Amino acid sequence: MTTLTLHIPEVKSGDLILRTICEDDLDQLAAFYAGTRSQFVGGPLSRADCWRLIAGNLGHWALRGFGMWVIADRGTGNPLGICGFIFREGWDEPELGWQVWDGYEGRGIAYRAAHAARTHGAAHFGLDGVISYIDPANTRSQALAERLGARFERDGTLLGTPCQVWRHPKSGEVAA
Amino acid sequence: MNLTQAPTLETSRLILRGPEPQDIAPTIAFLLDRERSEGFGSSPNRGEAWRWFALNVGHWHIHGYGYFTIEMKDSGETAGIAGIWNPEGWPEPELGWALYAGFEGRGIAYEAAARARRYAYEDLGFSTLTSNIVPGNTRSVALAERLGAWFEREYENIHMGHDLLYRHPAPGADDGRDDDGSVEAYA
Repeated sequence: MTTLTLHIPEVKSGDLILRTICEDDLDQLAAFYAGTRSQFVGGPLSRADCWRLIAGNLGHWALRGFGMWVIADRGTGNPLGICGFIFREGWDEPELGWQVWDGYEGRGIAYRAAHAARTHGAAHFGLDGVISYIDPANTRSQALAERLGARFERDGTLLGTPCQVWRHPKSGEVAA
Repeated sequence: MNLTQAPTLETSRLILRGPEPQDIAPTIAFLLDRERSEGFGSSPNRGEAWRWFALNVGHWHIHGYGYFTIEMKDSGETAGIAGIWNPEGWPEPELGWALYAGFEGRGIAYEAAARARRYAYEDLGFSTLTSNIVPGNTRSVALAERLGAWFEREYENIHMGHDLLYRHPAPGADDGRDDDGSVEAYA
């Protein structure tokens, strides 16, 4: 039963759509979080903890007015990953985050989704020039941050764990 | 600000309503108080406690039910939580309760839990309910029994470990008490 009454905007960009996460996404979320690629985004996690991620993300939207979307293929509706904003207790400021699920890497999906989310956040959520927390060993995400025009700002910590803080350009700035 | 679509319920002394931003601080304080929240599931740090609060809000949006905030009618204070909890991996939907510091010993948990149970039966259409209680949590066992529930079995809870499952009386199997715990006097 779903009685979702949150007002979460849909964002369309090219062949992708950013939409509200729901219980039906649990299988794919759990598959991703069972694998080693989840190590840089809080994994591995059990299926039960992945359900808590979904519910927690919906609560995040209610509490903050922004959050993370599921990245889906606009044509087929297939979910491909997650992207959007995180600002939980313990975060210095709102963060732009992304993850692409198994089988969908290497197609520029994270880049296009993160770009669309960032543009939407600047225009509608007052989130401009946000940060991304990136694990020091997550070179793929660092490369993507660079491609998005973000710059390494400092070494920081998130909830006691060392991580890099990358700063995204503001909407009016031209990415270097 | 309404974080959920939860209804507002009343008993003689209490308001049961959806979680709202003013409940964040007392909820975090409760979840960080290891002794007090041990039987409920304490949080190791503020970040995790905040995430539990967001989880409960999201639980309401997914299921249409969750933990109500117990608010004192007279003072407006947040006294605790009571409601129906059913995350992935749970054996069945559970009637749960917890009181925050300073609100024990006044029958508040009984009054809130009885009202939440009635809501689940009458408004949500539940035909049965359980309560999951960590072994050794004698206060909760006593309250479950006062609510008319009985021990059914032991099991492994995905989140809490070894756990006791109590079964509540079915709808209509009234134990003769009002929500405030007083025995109805029938002429």
